[in-house]
Amino acid sequence: MSLQNVLTNWSQYRKTHEDGGFYDYEHMWGMSVDLNKCTGCNACSVACYAENNLAVVGKEKFDKGQGMHWMRVERYWDEPDLAAGESTEFSEHGGSFLPMMCQQCNAATCEPVCPVAATYHTPDGLNAQVYNRCIGSRYCSNNCPYRLRYFNFYSYYESSWPEPLNMQLNPDLSVRDKGVMEKCTFCVQRIRVAKDTASRENQALVDGDITPACVQTCPTKALVFGDLINTESKLSKLWASHEVELGKTEQHKKNKEKRGYRVFEELNTDPCVMYLERVKEV
Amino acid sequence: MKDINEDIKWAQINKDVLRSMENPRRGYWIALIACVAMIACAVAAEIYQYQYGMGTANLNWPHMWDLYIATFIFWIGMSHSGTLLSAILHIIHADWRKPIYRFAEAMTTFSLMTAGLFPMIHLGRVWNLYWVLPYVTDRGIWPNFRSPLVWDAFAISTYLTSSAIFLFIGMIPDLAICRDNARGWRKKLYTALSLGWRGDDRQWRNFRRTYLVMACFLIPLAVSVHSIVSSDFAMSIMPGWHITTFPPYFVAGALYSGCAAIITLFVLLRYFFRFEEYMTISVLEKTCKLTFAIAMVWTYLNLIEFASVWYGHDVPSKEVLMDKFVGPYAPYFWVMIFCGSVMPFAFAFRKLRRHIPSMFVLSIILNLGMWLERWMIVTPTLSLGYHPIAFDTMWPSMIQWAIVFGSFGWFGMLFLVFVKVFPSVSMYEVKEMVYHRRGLAGKDPDAVLHSRTGSDDRPSSSSSGGGGSPGGGTPAPGLEGA
Amino acid sequence: MSGNDINRRKFLKVMGWGGAGAALAGCDMPTTVTLEEGKETVVSYLMPEEYVIPGQGVYFASTCQQCPAGCGVHGRVREGRVLKLEGNAVSPINEGGLCQMGQAGVQTHYNPDRLTKPLLRKGGSLSEVTWEEALAALDEKIGANSSVEGGKVAWMTGTVSGHQSVLLEGLLESLGGAKHYVYDLINNHVAAQVNEAMYGTTRPTYHLTKAKAVLSFGADLVGVSQSPVHFAAEYAKFREAPRGVLIQVEPNMSLTGGNADLWVPAKPGTEGALAMGIAHELINNHGKDASALPSGLNGKIKAYDLAKVETLTGVPTDKVKSIAKILAEKAPSLILTGASIESSENGYAATAAAAMLNVLLGNVGETITSSGGFPFPQLDAKTGSGADLLQFADAAGKGAIDVVFFHGVNPVFTAPGYLDLEAGLGKIPFKVSLSLFADETTNQADLVLPLASALEDWGTHVPAYQPEQSVIAMQQPLMEKLYPATKGFGDILLDMLKLRKVEGYTDFSDYYAFLQDAFAALPAEFKNGVDNASFWNQTLASGFISIPKQNASITANALDIAVTLPGENINYGLSLLPAIRLGMWDGRHANIPWLQEAPDQITKAVWGSWAEIHPKTASRLGLATGDFIKVESVKGDVEVPVYVYRGVFPDSVAVSVGQGHQAYGRYAEGRGVNPLTILDSATDGKTGEPALYGTRVKVSKVAVNKDEILVQFGGSESQVGRKLAATITAEVFNRTEGA
Repeated sequence: MSLQNVLTNWSQYRKTHEDGGFYDYEHMWGMSVDLNKCTGCNACSVACYAENNLAVVGKEKFDKGQGMHWMRVERYWDEPDLAAGESTEFSEHGGSFLPMMCQQCNAATCEPVCPVAATYHTPDGLNAQVYNRCIGSRYCSNNCPYRLRYFNFYSYYESSWPEPLNMQLNPDLSVRDKGVMEKCTFCVQRIRVAKDTASRENQALVDGDITPACVQTCPTKALVFGDLINTESKLSKLWASHEVELGKTEQHKKNKEKRGYRVFEELNTDPCVMYLERVKEV
Repeated sequence: MKDINEDIKWAQINKDVLRSMENPRRGYWIALIACVAMIACAVAAEIYQYQYGMGTANLNWPHMWDLYIATFIFWIGMSHSGTLLSAILHIIHADWRKPIYRFAEAMTTFSLMTAGLFPMIHLGRVWNLYWVLPYVTDRGIWPNFRSPLVWDAFAISTYLTSSAIFLFIGMIPDLAICRDNARGWRKKLYTALSLGWRGDDRQWRNFRRTYLVMACFLIPLAVSVHSIVSSDFAMSIMPGWHITTFPPYFVAGALYSGCAAIITLFVLLRYFFRFEEYMTISVLEKTCKLTFAIAMVWTYLNLIEFASVWYGHDVPSKEVLMDKFVGPYAPYFWVMIFCGSVMPFAFAFRKLRRHIPSMFVLSIILNLGMWLERWMIVTPTLSLGYHPIAFDTMWPSMIQWAIVFGSFGWFGMLFLVFVKVFPSVSMYEVKEMVYHRRGLAGKDPDAVLHSRTGSDDRPSSSSSGGGGSPGGGTPAPGLEGA
Repeated sequence: MSGNDINRRKFLKVMGWGGAGAALAGCDMPTTVTLEEGKETVVSYLMPEEYVIPGQGVYFASTCQQCPAGCGVHGRVREGRVLKLEGNAVSPINEGGLCQMGQAGVQTHYNPDRLTKPLLRKGGSLSEVTWEEALAALDEKIGANSSVEGGKVAWMTGTVSGHQSVLLEGLLESLGGAKHYVYDLINNHVAAQVNEAMYGTTRPTYHLTKAKAVLSFGADLVGVSQSPVHFAAEYAKFREAPRGVLIQVEPNMSLTGGNADLWVPAKPGTEGALAMGIAHELINNHGKDASALPSGLNGKIKAYDLAKVETLTGVPTDKVKSIAKILAEKAPSLILTGASIESSENGYAATAAAAMLNVLLGNVGETITSSGGFPFPQLDAKTGSGADLLQFADAAGKGAIDVVFFHGVNPVFTAPGYLDLEAGLGKIPFKVSLSLFADETTNQADLVLPLASALEDWGTHVPAYQPEQSVIAMQQPLMEKLYPATKGFGDILLDMLKLRKVEGYTDFSDYYAFLQDAFAALPAEFKNGVDNASFWNQTLASGFISIPKQNASITANALDIAVTLPGENINYGLSLLPAIRLGMWDGRHANIPWLQEAPDQITKAVWGSWAEIHPKTASRLGLATGDFIKVESVKGDVEVPVYVYRGVFPDSVAVSVGQGHQAYGRYAEGRGVNPLTILDSATDGKTGEPALYGTRVKVSKVAVNKDEILVQFGGSESQVGRKLAATITAEVFNRTEGA
């Protein structure tokens, strides 16, 4: 039984994306974020709170850096380009907004370091976090270059959802207790429901069956979600049109001006989220 | 200057060592109570932390690790001294180690026992700690063998077991002496532990063989255990951690802090147990020279790390390095460099090397530096890393300090109990050393050791009345097993 | 449960299976039904209602009530509880999107600080009463047999529309001349009046998608606007290749400013002069036809040469030139106005000057078209204005009001402090508040009627801003009431009409029945040729009724008004700018924990107030981010932490609006400051609107207040050279992705 299992798993361990394609994946969920359309309005972040039972930690704990925003919108002020004669007095080009959710890396750096394999890769290409298995060593968060893993430093159930706020909790996923690491799952509960429905109806999943909460709510439709294995999906086409490929540490684009890129691609994490560059006049 | 008084009587050795194990004085009790109080502090902090969560330690995003891990490495490092003295120096026949290796070995075991606590303290859900062990279940769930934390669990538990066994085996002849001089519960304890040691040839032969095998086994283990601990960092991709020189760097650092700790305990034991006859200035000086050499290796590896990061032009790594130099943690970094790389030059002065109070203070300073080093490995990297949104500076809370503080109490308590229950100086090896040294005066040492025709001055560990001591001498006082 | 609540069984039967839209009931919360009460048979979920599939969420359409935009939502209901709101993809308002406030609608609904029982002031303090007692108290004051004087009754509401508005009108009428004050802090009343004068309609339709360039004078399209989600969707299309250029002129950065290609800070109150300067440049150097403008105005424009404009507005000449160049090259363009230009002392004139550019550039009829009219004026949105507030405060102060009703508005919090509304309310003998929460105004009331939340209530809403497709948005309950002793707005209005014994309303058992009747009475042309029951069900399923627009043409006359500029004040050297953002809105969402914890889009501050200051001003005052300042006007002062950045005009200080609640529940209370309390009494001369941007203040450094520190998300203000949010130029973008 178990020995057999470990041997099987051992060969699994040794399989990485460099072995040539994702032949044993059923899906490869991915996303695209168009920074040209993103206004940084934060709707995705709050939608994520609503969908995924994210705890509200309060001012003090937020100040300590214990907030739990799986989907966070970062805002950067870019240094003025003096050569282009940009004003040093004002942020003339506004801010740079960057929504960041778990990048669902194919070579996720968080996965090999978890001592109990609480985070692992699903056949859906998702970087899954098994809350029940997590022992809270927090190594994964240390090793995530994107810092997209959030730890339950406290038990938030009582403080975050006083009655009757707790009635809003989504029963499709758990409320995490203290000592557990958590992160964006691409709304795995929605993926689950869509897959179950499809299989109950004896039909294949179609592109668009699944919409994570952030993608659903985005007022500007800057976020696109889909299956990267299905070459016909909207997302695959988008990746292809921007000449971004999985499994590369550097994209060799025919047209260097295409906007697609992946954050920290050079670290060989092989993320499944493609960003499209922000556009500015001049 | 001689390492030991060659004219010392066997009975005197027994007497001195056994005396140190009995009648704890008031100072001892005060020290013990102080240690227990420190532990109580930590336990209270611990309970609070478990009740309310890891956030009470001020841990945050991105500072998921902090003092717990730093102190863990510190204690693991401390454990390397015993192995160095008893195994490595044993194999290379550096016999000056003999008066001091026993307590160093005890230190190894106890610091491992202390270190082992920290991964537990640090876990978010410690009640599931056993999941890192590959126990067989119906569900076929295994730990992740790729994780350096799992390697840690294996390495540390193996090392702890081995070093405890090594400590025990090395003590058997001495335990037999204790047995012969003890009454009451101590008699029972030593009888059981000395495993029927009578000191006959066959036993000695087997004993030596086992001891040598264990020593050979332990050396690679010691090197590997800190290499594995270093891979917690080196195997990650974070700038400032992902450094190939980390394994030797950690091992050197470990030996360094271990040696410094030996000096500290050397001074304390020498003073409180009046072991001046055995823990001589000359032995101290040798230990100091060894520490100095290791300190220089450590400093060199430090420079290599800086230079390679600087030369490598990896921007995030460089930022972390610069942050260590000038960032919010810079004062601690420079204190660490001062303590770890500048202070050891005191060893270069013979006068200082032979000045016991100075060496005591210095050894503590060195270890402060080494503790800071561990903190400076863990924290600055986490405060920078790759993603600027998570740049942060964090200072540990009182909870963390209390637990770190308490760990010293825990170590101290274990050590205090040890010195009163077990001989902290190896009687038989000191006798061996004395014998050896006498033989060296003119004869071929092997001839002296192996000759059966010499005096009855053979290093014997088990002869009634404190051993066959030439020239008589008073039998050692019996140990009261009250 | 009171009589006209919909009984669950009946409710189900009504909603039933006629269409896809069936509201739910199902799970009764233990808080509302207990076995002891014996009011309800507890049915095990082993035998659920037909349409309830345990473990599966069902979506029902409704309308978001977090702001007056009227976005369509789908509420996910599972086991009788609404869990999440999502944008209704077929709604022409929001096209599936929803902003963070809309997402947080469930937290308004499940808020732990909701009012659960009617409260009546007895001997100085509010105590719980039954609805019968509450209605009796009302009857005494405004009932048919009371001696109420219509002229001394007032209603003060926020934006109100749909059939609630019809009932309210009926009630006001029956009271005989009762005054209806409509007040919203966030309003576009000045622009509406300019539009009325220019186009003959208060709300023309703007077509961002057709524009190649947008020059916005403080219009926070994607943030605090008349329809944030709609404009965000339009913005996204506007940004597709060939990409439109967005220029934002405002004194402190809004979310739209944060996304602008060119963000131009002008001295507060001088935007009108800048508009004149741009017109000057367009006429002189880009050959724009000045004859489109009234000749008097032409003469005025001539005075605004660029050197003068630079002195007046602080905008460098080359910036004005490049703005004019972009506008001249990229036709059609669109000029929009927002709070920073409208809410100043010369707001009307400045807004007119900005709107004049649309005429000069020939945008009218291209990117600005007629809204086509709305066939049901009685349902149309009554949007708020600040002038109403001033009138109300005046009337209250004079003791001209005996009975006042508040709904959807919290004037004690949002009114400028100098009005001292608390004292004014003290002079009103009987105040009634219809509210979900014990906010500042409600705490002043003598009778508090707890409202059912937007997710428990029936209603229809007509969005204040209707895009290409007009709608009547349908609001239906998504779950049973959390608290049985709360009532919907429509039901309460109906109750009052019954107290007044008004003909035609007394027959309806509840608002639900009234709505059905009203739907049945809709002209057949809106019913897609189906019968009443099907139409009702179709409407519930889709969430709105489409109203076809008439294609009315639009003509515009630029207004010939002189732009005046604010005076200087040496003692109070800085301008106070209210920073109103999507999230807290006007402070109504300060009790929602998600929104408190969602960082402000620009400053990334959470859980508190902040003041934005330009680095130049900060260095002059010796301030750094996190320091505390005292912002002092002639009307008072507030102490607030500083955020220093380059997105605010020097010599001004922008203080965030929305915090500083004295009441309003655990999440809002005693947090931050309310800058509205120190507003000066300046108003726009033409419209009488309070000038929110017209207050002068001085600033001094004070000691740090540990409870109110600035907490921001993020450890770095810049990308420190990493490739996180990368940027390319529009030229490349248009080349590679242009059609």
